[in-house]
Amino acid sequence: MEKGFARVWRKTGTRLTLLYLLLLLVGRMNGEAGVAPPGKPRLINCRSPEKETFTCWWEPGSSGGLPTSYTLFYRKENSDVVYECPDYITAGDNSCFFDKNHTSIWVNYNITVVAQNALGNASSDPMDVDVMNIVQPHHPENVTVTLMQGENLYLQVKWQPPRMADTRSGWITLTYELLVKREEDDEWEEYFAGLQKQYQLFSPHPGETYMVKVRCKPDHGYWSEWSATAYVDVPDYLPRERSVWMLLAVFSAFVFLIFMWVLALKKNRVKHCLLPPVPGPKIKGFDSCLLKMEKSEEIFNGLIGLGFRPPSDSGDLLVDYLEVSESIQSESRHSLSPNGKDQVKDSVADHSGGHLCDVPAILAEKCNKEMEAQGDVQTEESLETVGHLAGNDNHTPNPSAASSNQPCVQESPYHVPEESKQGLDPVTWDNDELSSYRGNAPVHGKSHFNSEYVTERWQGCLQVTKPTEYVEVQKVNQENTLILKPKAEEEMEDFLQLGLRGQDYSKVSELVNDHILLLERGSTTPNTYCGSLGSPVQQQPKQTLCQGPNGYVETFTVQSSSY
Amino acid sequence: CVLHCWSLFVLLLMCLDLHTLVESAPICAHGHTGCHSPTLSDLFDRVIQHSARMHGLSSDLHSDFEQYFLPSRNQIGRINRKCHTAYILTPNGKENAQRLAREELTEVILKLLAAWRDPLSQFHRSMARHEDFTSISGNKALEMSDMVHQLKNGVEKVAEKMQLLGMISNSLMSLSSTEALAPHSASSEARSMSDYELLYCFRRDSNKVQNYLKILKCRIVAEHGC
Repeated sequence: MEKGFARVWRKTGTRLTLLYLLLLLVGRMNGEAGVAPPGKPRLINCRSPEKETFTCWWEPGSSGGLPTSYTLFYRKENSDVVYECPDYITAGDNSCFFDKNHTSIWVNYNITVVAQNALGNASSDPMDVDVMNIVQPHHPENVTVTLMQGENLYLQVKWQPPRMADTRSGWITLTYELLVKREEDDEWEEYFAGLQKQYQLFSPHPGETYMVKVRCKPDHGYWSEWSATAYVDVPDYLPRERSVWMLLAVFSAFVFLIFMWVLALKKNRVKHCLLPPVPGPKIKGFDSCLLKMEKSEEIFNGLIGLGFRPPSDSGDLLVDYLEVSESIQSESRHSLSPNGKDQVKDSVADHSGGHLCDVPAILAEKCNKEMEAQGDVQTEESLETVGHLAGNDNHTPNPSAASSNQPCVQESPYHVPEESKQGLDPVTWDNDELSSYRGNAPVHGKSHFNSEYVTERWQGCLQVTKPTEYVEVQKVNQENTLILKPKAEEEMEDFLQLGLRGQDYSKVSELVNDHILLLERGSTTPNTYCGSLGSPVQQQPKQTLCQGPNGYVETFTVQSSSY
Repeated sequence: CVLHCWSLFVLLLMCLDLHTLVESAPICAHGHTGCHSPTLSDLFDRVIQHSARMHGLSSDLHSDFEQYFLPSRNQIGRINRKCHTAYILTPNGKENAQRLAREELTEVILKLLAAWRDPLSQFHRSMARHEDFTSISGNKALEMSDMVHQLKNGVEKVAEKMQLLGMISNSLMSLSSTEALAPHSASSEARSMSDYELLYCFRRDSNKVQNYLKILKCRIVAEHGC
């Protein structure tokens, strides 16, 4: 009997155990469905939007298959009193909301969450929270972007601080940040706005849409979420400034091109204008050759002889003549024959032959070369006259000399009229002009002196030559002779009378008998004049009319003791 | 004569220019006539900037300390003792702060600043002894202790100005009495605090000072910053 009972008992026990094990197995296989104490929850974070309230969130652990409840406990700093969360609902699931009455700033909160179910409970790790550190405001509100028209078009972004944050009393200080993007761009541009609640974006691209969003941050806290994006369409426009500048640039480029083209065309003239050719020194009667020889007396004498009237030394009048030697590229001379007849020589002879200066050869050559060089380079050359004794054998008459008989040539102190010369010194004249007036061979050149020679000559010139002066032509008598009236000498009238057609100057065509001047009809502008030179000894004093290369008339007395 | 006149004229001009250059504005504490004293708003801005800088330094030092000296998570953010300034009653919320009168608020600020002068210089000295702490942190500590002193002077100037303008009554306690009111235990307590605890407490108190100053400013000088 007892054996049977034990047997039954053993069987039941085994079955029960099996059943129990089976149940356990089933329970384990089902996992959560099974009962277990809850898993440990985890506090995520706590945040305060305005530093007056705050919320804490947790993450629940495993529930253990049973309905689990979560409780949040907290302790305040240095106090052992444990409080429970005042509000589990306002902030949503698994959260605890601390309202104003339960929030203290600058106080350390020690927070713990406990999960509890039928089988047990589990407590999270504690978290220490000071509200001053966990401020994360809401995003800014009422973000607007508008087109503004100032000097140029710009975008004005405006926003409001989040509603709950009290910035007006100074409790919270918020700083703001913007993100701006054009619709087709990929990247956002960051702009920091500081404490202000508006921001300008200048020079927006025309014809595009802009997107703007704003966020804020307190002094020592976290950035808020981004606000809702605001859009604005920018119309097509050209900034005034840019168009004006473009126009200006195009116009000035155009002008510049034209200018360069003109410059290229008139290259020579520009060159002439900018770098004018340096004229050689020309002073009437002032010979650079003389300078080189350093004969100051002669220089001065030469100067004086030209412009000034020497004390009229009637008893000491020597006939002398001035020889003009000119050539464009070389020398040509006018030389006077010893008997007073002038022969104008235009020679294109080269310098290598005749040196006018019988000076020490070196100097003379030097002078020659320099002058030649000048003559080569420049079209203008100074005309210098050479005092030269008649009968100087060095001067060989040039058969191709000028056609007209011209008695003599003398340096003219008279002013060449303006229109006949260009850039000419008052004391000199342009040989080109001379040639043009003469119409013959060009008259040009330099004079060279023999120094000793010169002395006599110049002296002779001084003594003999009357200062040049204009001759006033009175009338032409029937014989076609000129009747002239010199300014200083009224006796001149006796010799000649000339009638003019009302012109001041006449061109002399011929000298007859040494005292009769034949004038051409028609007027020419006066240029050179002449004086005649004769040998101081041989000739008789008389008045001679001489004609310059262009026919300008002047009178002077030659060795005159009587007029 | 012309040359002389001209040179004289130029000299005169130069003198005038120099005069305008030199004419800078000295700050007059008592608003003497002829002085160009800053406005109350300017003074407030200055002290607020100052306090912001001070709090920034304290935060930096605190986080440095946490990184190097207290790696274990248990101790972070928690102190076992009260701060030595716990005897000073400070408002713990916006309403509380706004409920306080201007004079009281100013007094609280001054008390706080006075209470920290000695502990911070002590802290700087102990920092110098720490070999592990970098020189940068040492400089910050020195700067911080200087700043407390300067800020207190600044706030006193602000208080004087406010009294002058009649914005607050003259019941404000003088500097010496402020310090005298501090209980003796506070200073001994401060001395026994660890460096970390000191930093923790000062970080909080500097934040209080900054916040109270801002509230005071916006209450007295309503401006765009508020």
